[in-house]
Amino acid sequence: MTRLFDQYHPQSDRFFDEVISHESAPRPHYGIMMQRFNQFSAADIRARRELVNIFFRNQGITFTVYGVDEGIERIFPFDLIPRIIPASEWEGIERGLIQRITALNLFLADLYQDQKILRDKIIPAELVLGSKHFRREFVGVRPPLGVYIHVTGSDLIRDAEGRYLVLEDNLRTPSGVSYMLQNRIAMKRAFPVLFDRYTVRPVENYPQQLLRTLQEISPTPKLDPKVVVLTPGIYNSAYFEHSFLARQMGVQLTEGRDLVVNNNKVYTRTTRGLKIVDVIYRRVDDEFIDPLVFRPDSVLGVAGLINAYRKGNVTLANAIGTGVADDKVIYSFVPQIIKYYLGEDPVLDNVETWLAGNPKHLKYILENLDKLVVKAANESGGYGMLVGPESTPEQRERFAEKIVENPRNYIAQPTISLSRHPSFFNETEIAPCHIDLRPYVLNGKSISIVPGGLTRVALRRGSLVVNSSQGGGSKDTWVIDN
Amino acid sequence: MLSRVAESLFWMSRYFERAENTARFLDVNFNLLLDLDSITPVDHPNYWKPLIMVMADPEHFNSLYPEYDAHSVTDYLVFNRGNSNSILSSISMARENARSVIESISSEMWEQLNNLYHFLQSVSPQQVHSDPYTFYKEIKNASHLFQGITDNTFSHNEGWAFVQIGKYLERADNSARLIDVKYHMLTTSPARHSDLVSGSVDIIQWMAVLKSCSALEAFRKVYLSKIDPENILDFLILDRSFPRSITFSICAAQEALWRISGSSSHRYANNVDRLIGKMEAEMSYATVEEILQQGVRPFLEEIEQGLARIGEQLHLLYFAYHTPKIEPADISEALPFTGLDGRRANWSQSQQQQQ
Repeated sequence: MTRLFDQYHPQSDRFFDEVISHESAPRPHYGIMMQRFNQFSAADIRARRELVNIFFRNQGITFTVYGVDEGIERIFPFDLIPRIIPASEWEGIERGLIQRITALNLFLADLYQDQKILRDKIIPAELVLGSKHFRREFVGVRPPLGVYIHVTGSDLIRDAEGRYLVLEDNLRTPSGVSYMLQNRIAMKRAFPVLFDRYTVRPVENYPQQLLRTLQEISPTPKLDPKVVVLTPGIYNSAYFEHSFLARQMGVQLTEGRDLVVNNNKVYTRTTRGLKIVDVIYRRVDDEFIDPLVFRPDSVLGVAGLINAYRKGNVTLANAIGTGVADDKVIYSFVPQIIKYYLGEDPVLDNVETWLAGNPKHLKYILENLDKLVVKAANESGGYGMLVGPESTPEQRERFAEKIVENPRNYIAQPTISLSRHPSFFNETEIAPCHIDLRPYVLNGKSISIVPGGLTRVALRRGSLVVNSSQGGGSKDTWVIDN
Repeated sequence: MLSRVAESLFWMSRYFERAENTARFLDVNFNLLLDLDSITPVDHPNYWKPLIMVMADPEHFNSLYPEYDAHSVTDYLVFNRGNSNSILSSISMARENARSVIESISSEMWEQLNNLYHFLQSVSPQQVHSDPYTFYKEIKNASHLFQGITDNTFSHNEGWAFVQIGKYLERADNSARLIDVKYHMLTTSPARHSDLVSGSVDIIQWMAVLKSCSALEAFRKVYLSKIDPENILDFLILDRSFPRSITFSICAAQEALWRISGSSSHRYANNVDRLIGKMEAEMSYATVEEILQQGVRPFLEEIEQGLARIGEQLHLLYFAYHTPKIEPADISEALPFTGLDGRRANWSQSQQQQQ
């Protein structure tokens, strides 16, 4: 019988392999896991895969793909081999993220109060004030505890040497945390035996921590502040997650039409009349949240919500206008932001970034399009980007035109070296597939990070794009005690 | 609970019940035709037109099909998406409503409803024509299973009460419509000579009405073999213990409404409770002789109107809580789904989320 890992030869100078070192030896924290997987037969693997599939289907864990046959529900592909992060590595990640979120939060507080960082010319003012996510309506509004970003899902990757780098800060409405929780349940059902020899730190209490964070930011201190989740509705691709989190926290899942603002206070419409709301965990983007202030054609929001928020009668998580700090252009300034507010060097580095808005950088970008990954500053989900080495000359030409037309809107990065991890590319065989990591950071009275996160994996062979809309899947992610 | 959630539970349940009733009407019609085949051809429009009259919009049907025959009517009532009351549309609406409150219902309920939806997607009209019995049985069983699952996996609190109200208002309305149309047909046919309809063909037709309510056996236990229209009317309208009779359904809906408001007999807390209490009292003290005297049609039409008014008040009280008071004259326009115009109640399209 061939053993699963016998076929696994990830040697490469360009990519860091999570499991096998450059000396072709298994990294110590993966040793037991490899042994266990080597004991499974192909039939074992198939049977367990079937268990997992049934679990996801029954739970209705699906996401919606736009543009294909008016939105088809698909099961989010799940890879059976868990990603393992030893505690020593995790501590660095944790420290780095706490530092980064602290600094970004101070940055937002500054932008919406005194704008010192602009006056000190650390960041060109026009970059911030010209960002489409900067909400000048909120200058002078201070949210409870001074916290703007309550829930973050930063995307981390590892370079060829295995250093963790921040690829993106998602400070608006990051999604995916429900997959993190469900992946763990699925893994425990399919491979209870794998958990035997590892002390895996639990992620299960994330919903309780989220609820606690949301209660901490209640506008007035109360014994039991009323928290609701606000979803755009059943047609949103992350609707499953919204309903899942509401159910796990034991709070109501509301749509815009369930809420009504009266006298600058927010209420739910219930069968027993109007009930006051203190905190809204909103999964509706800024632009859609209040037709009186933002897009008047939005039917997803609540008329008058923003005024209630400005008056301090309700707290929104995340705050309005946080998008200005996760803009891909501002991203390139995060090291300076950390230095400016905390006087520290960043624990987690950025990926090297060129700004098309800077004439020198623009020239470099246009000359090296075939080597770079170019991204639109305000797009997410893997849309609006060009992966240089995989593109055709025509595609590059078309993209170059777009960049020159609106340079402020584009950044470029080297084709990043996402680390690789053994994953099933078909039913019974594994290959090195690129992965990233999205840990979830909660910020209320203090910052806490659930040990683990969502590991996304590019299951299409050779692909570097891990987004679920582009054929990506995910893995259970373990932080283990050393 | 959130008004929207209550509303979705109500319509989920109502549409599921509607699909079951449509399946029942069609099923019995097919059976009936097997009995009558020797007398009249199966495709005779007399057998099929009433189904459209009771369950859908004849004008819309006529715009799509030239004839009231078995194929067209079945196709229209089972599969047509343009017919908002077809089985497929009803189950889609039930599912849509369930999906929007998926965190409030039990996962077993969702699974059952979802299964039926996918089953319907997989069935071809040809399958239904070649084996109607199995198909309709599948729908009826799915509905029974859903109700059983709901009763056993969903907490019996406010949300459950809205599920009950949806089910029983729909059932009462469907039974009234069925009796209305059958009675109308049988009494206005030119060959009739007696005041009350009789004769062997009519008896078969009346038995079909009973069967479509799964009521034949229960009826026989009460009236032994005396199948005459008067007894049948008495049973289907006024019987207090048979779960598909109109009176039973109204009592059950009343009980569910009381659970929500805390009302009890003689003391109503709101307009819905008042209307249903009044209706329940009228049904309790009515006799079949009085009904015949008043005329079966007017009596049943009054019930249908009463049910529509209850639906409308229910909406205003529990679902549209904050909407400003609407002048009565505007109600039919503002609430196109109440069924006050004699059409069947439908979930308001304006309530459906657009994106």
